[in-house]
Amino acid sequence: MVLDTVPPVVIVLAAALLAAVLPRRIGHAVGVLATGGVAALSWVVPEGAHLQVTLFGAFDAILYNVDPFSRLMGLIFGLIGAVAVLYSYASGADSRQTAIALSYVGTGLGTVYAGDWLTLIFFWELMAVTSTLLVWYYGGAAVRAGFRYAVLHGIGGSLLLAGIVWHYVEVGSVAFTASAGLTGGVPAALAAVGIGVNVGFVGLHAWLPDTYPRPHIAASVFLCVYTTKTGVYGMFRAFPDGHLWIAYMGGAMAVFGAFAALLQSDMRRLLSYHIQSQVGYMVAGVGLGGAAIGHSGKYYHELATAGAFGHVFNHILYKALLFMAVGVIIYRTGKESLDDIGGLGRKMPLTAGTFGIAALSIAGFPGFNGFVSKGMIIGAAEKKELEALWYLLLIGGVGTFLSFIKLGYFAFIEGEYTGDIKDANVGQSVAMVSVAGLCVAFGLVPDLLFEILPVPAEAYEYHTFTVPHIAEGVGLGLAGLVGFAILRGPLHHVGRVPDIDAVYNRVFFYGGRGLIVATTELFAAVDRVAVQFVRLCYWAGSNPVTVVFRVGRRLPRTLQPDFVREDLSADGGAVSRLYIRAGVGTSIAILVAVLTLVLLVAL
Amino acid sequence: MSDLLLGLLIVLPLLGSTLSLGLGLVRERVGWWVATLVLAVEAGLASWVAYVIYVGGDRLVHVLGGETFGRKSITVGGETTNFTVGIELVGDALSGLVVVLVAGVALAALAYMRRAGPRGNAFYTVYLIMTGGLMGVALTGDLFNLFVFLEIVGLATYALIAAGRGPEAAVASLKYLVVGTTGASMYLIGVGYVFLETGALNMVDVSRSLAGDAPWFDGALYSEPLVVAAFGFVAVGLATKSAIFPLHTWQPGAYAEAPDAVTVYISALASTSAAYAFARITWLVFTPEFFAVNRRLLEVVLLLAGASVVAGSVIAAMQQRLKRTFAYSSVAQFGLVFLGICVAVHPAATEEATKFAVYGTVIHLIGHAVIKGGLFATAGALAAGEGARTLSEIAGLARRRPFISGSLTVLGLSLVGVPPSVGFVGKWYIGVGAVGANLWPVVVVIFASTVLSLLYIAQILEKLYFTPEATEVDLQDVEPIAADGGRSLSYGMAGVGVTAAVVAVALGFGGAQLASLLDPVWRAVVDSAPEVIA
Repeated sequence: MVLDTVPPVVIVLAAALLAAVLPRRIGHAVGVLATGGVAALSWVVPEGAHLQVTLFGAFDAILYNVDPFSRLMGLIFGLIGAVAVLYSYASGADSRQTAIALSYVGTGLGTVYAGDWLTLIFFWELMAVTSTLLVWYYGGAAVRAGFRYAVLHGIGGSLLLAGIVWHYVEVGSVAFTASAGLTGGVPAALAAVGIGVNVGFVGLHAWLPDTYPRPHIAASVFLCVYTTKTGVYGMFRAFPDGHLWIAYMGGAMAVFGAFAALLQSDMRRLLSYHIQSQVGYMVAGVGLGGAAIGHSGKYYHELATAGAFGHVFNHILYKALLFMAVGVIIYRTGKESLDDIGGLGRKMPLTAGTFGIAALSIAGFPGFNGFVSKGMIIGAAEKKELEALWYLLLIGGVGTFLSFIKLGYFAFIEGEYTGDIKDANVGQSVAMVSVAGLCVAFGLVPDLLFEILPVPAEAYEYHTFTVPHIAEGVGLGLAGLVGFAILRGPLHHVGRVPDIDAVYNRVFFYGGRGLIVATTELFAAVDRVAVQFVRLCYWAGSNPVTVVFRVGRRLPRTLQPDFVREDLSADGGAVSRLYIRAGVGTSIAILVAVLTLVLLVAL
Repeated sequence: MSDLLLGLLIVLPLLGSTLSLGLGLVRERVGWWVATLVLAVEAGLASWVAYVIYVGGDRLVHVLGGETFGRKSITVGGETTNFTVGIELVGDALSGLVVVLVAGVALAALAYMRRAGPRGNAFYTVYLIMTGGLMGVALTGDLFNLFVFLEIVGLATYALIAAGRGPEAAVASLKYLVVGTTGASMYLIGVGYVFLETGALNMVDVSRSLAGDAPWFDGALYSEPLVVAAFGFVAVGLATKSAIFPLHTWQPGAYAEAPDAVTVYISALASTSAAYAFARITWLVFTPEFFAVNRRLLEVVLLLAGASVVAGSVIAAMQQRLKRTFAYSSVAQFGLVFLGICVAVHPAATEEATKFAVYGTVIHLIGHAVIKGGLFATAGALAAGEGARTLSEIAGLARRRPFISGSLTVLGLSLVGVPPSVGFVGKWYIGVGAVGANLWPVVVVIFASTVLSLLYIAQILEKLYFTPEATEVDLQDVEPIAADGGRSLSYGMAGVGVTAAVVAVALGFGGAQLASLLDPVWRAVVDSAPEVIA
């Protein structure tokens, strides 16, 4: 089949070009068709299809490679891409923004369909560029945030690239199949930190809440999907056998993100922290995905890997839905902060309803899709007997409940919204309802999910609806409710809580300014010295006689040659001539002296 | 048959000198014509010799005095060896280039002298004698004979310098006479020591004897005090003749006070012949094996040569008179040549380093002769045409004398070592040789010499091109002063400068070809062989 060898990235990038030039309506239609087509393509193209080329005459690069993992990523990326383009159209995004967004989707697809590290890093870096453009396109405060985003991702990408180069030197091939993950030691550490930027490791995460709340609401829907999830995918490629530290980092992210989110009032900022939190579950899943991690019985690591990818899939659905619902609120009210709104539930029932579904999904309430995949990861942590991690993931769950109860309560229930306000428009509604439907469907019939997961269901035997699981989900919810009842007052007006970026932005800014000032000053100083020196040389070269005079006069009196003592007044003070002539007698004396020297040395 | 040419090259100018004097009894002012005729034939002969040497690949040997003399075999203690009786003239790959140079410069200087003078048959007689002496220095294969020819050159030079008018020329000549003769005496003492030790004067025989090849020597004589002292005397003597700092004291006065035409000639050839002699003796008589034993001796000479480069350039930059500037510049340039000579035989030099040092030394020797002769010709032409002899007087003359100024620029930049010119090629090869021998201080000096020579050349060019003329004197209204040509400039005078500039650049382009002519020389040096055989 011809389509077997057409990389999805080509299709979507072509659609991006078309969307930029075609009229808005047709352009968006092309975008929906292209991304939807890619989802369908991901479904039908058989495993093993690939496109291999030789780059620079040295690297066997696999530009397009279909295996169960990339296939799942392509499927969900295409699907949500189509929904997001539809939502963009309905939310008033212009053609050019959607074109940039499509190029971002395209590079994301290129990354997950890459068959080797070289192709992956190529699209990875391109994705950083396209996402930066998407942020920048909105202008205003998004520009500086986008710049910080670009710098951090530039650093992360470079670290990953360094890890890949090192790996290539060790292994001699860039193909994924050449080795199980990246070479251990320094390459793996470089890659972990580099990918850690993309997935939002605690400490490297500040770009997430900094960037995602600022651009257009439709842009946020795109942004919340691709970068971090590509990061999870990359983490799996780099560490297919997991790593305990990564698993614990995932747990830390889950807790930190959820509770940081709890302190936010800006809605999209709150959601952004939840990306970190949820990605923490996935990272924990990837980290647990090795037989050697923790208690190694009964293919638990298969469960962890399946859970990680299931959570990627589910998370993309509900997180996109959350951003869409919150986007509708911002679209209708123009307000970004929970402090400025309230009581919207009665005015915007559809938005409130879809938000509710998404919130229950993300919190992992039984019957919704988050419950399935999150449960798999928590279950894997439990069965591998990593109790600390298990508790971290449960606490993260409580935090998630808490913050979404907070978001839902303050936005839709508490207070009264004065003034006339409409619910989501038709396009937005179609987008949101279809995704909400998927959330519920995958929540009620987990087998649908197990069907498409890259790890065959027989490998891990996970039963979703068992009593302990449901009790766990409901219990977390109850804990959240109780917690919220206690914390409601203080939580309402927390104000802006500084994150780690408050420190490193300052460090970078003042450090950078200091560095630049130091460099320019040093350069100027060197320049001054050099110019002075050259000027002095030039002067000495032009006035050699004067130089000899001046130097001569500085000598001790006994050493001064006679000519220095000449009276210069006759010459008007200017020195123009120097008489150094040796007479005949002196010449012979010198000759004899030299001869003596030579003979002394020789004999 | 062609070995007879070697004798002819020396005899012809000497015969010509008597002709000039004899015909002078009959006619006045015949000297220039006689000299031109003789030197034209001489140039033809020199070309022939060069052809035989370089194209034919021959090493020409001519023994003076007929059958009685020459290489005779003797048997001592059952071992047969051979020894030269009498004086040999040798034309090989090293002397061939010098022969051509001498013939060419002698002829070119005549073009300058036609108008500039000095006139008079006696002058041309001395001129021809000096040419014969220079040929002798180039061709002789005998250490004592070399002294004789050096003295012929020296005495002729004293006379030529004294041909300048005024007391300064006489004083300069006298100073040169005393110092130069002392230097020559040192050389003679050195030769005497060698003779005492080896019993030979022929360069090949001396070299073999020093190596202990003759059956009556127990081994090499390299560490004999008399031999070591001999080299010291020879080096000091020839360094004096080549005007190496601080033995240069005679030279600036001699060059500056001599008539312009004479300066062109002696600046190109007098010191050059002495430096050539030093190279020949160092490379082929004492050979690298001698210096492997007496390394420190070589390093003293290197030190003097390096000091010469620096001091010569710095003092040159402090001069006001153009001719003095160029004179001191020669001190620096011969410092470079001596550096090259010493690097080639330095124990640390690899085969490659020796090769490049030999290339660089000979090319710089020849290149410097062309450049310096040309520079003095342009300086003389500016003096003759514009009466400008000092830095301040030449200001702005480039407008009025574009060709002379242009030649001076090309020659000056060539002296600095700007490619593609022969000055660059020579310096470059010497530098590469020094790098190959890991003599880093020498490398620094060589590259510093470029900047240092820029010091005085840039000064001159700046005055010539970028400083406006001090006073607007319309020279058209001033009647030329008739004495000794006065302010008159012939095409010949300007042509010498222009030709030198063209040759300097052409030799720069032909640097690699020129170097390839010297291949037998460096092979002989590497092998410590006494004979340069193609």
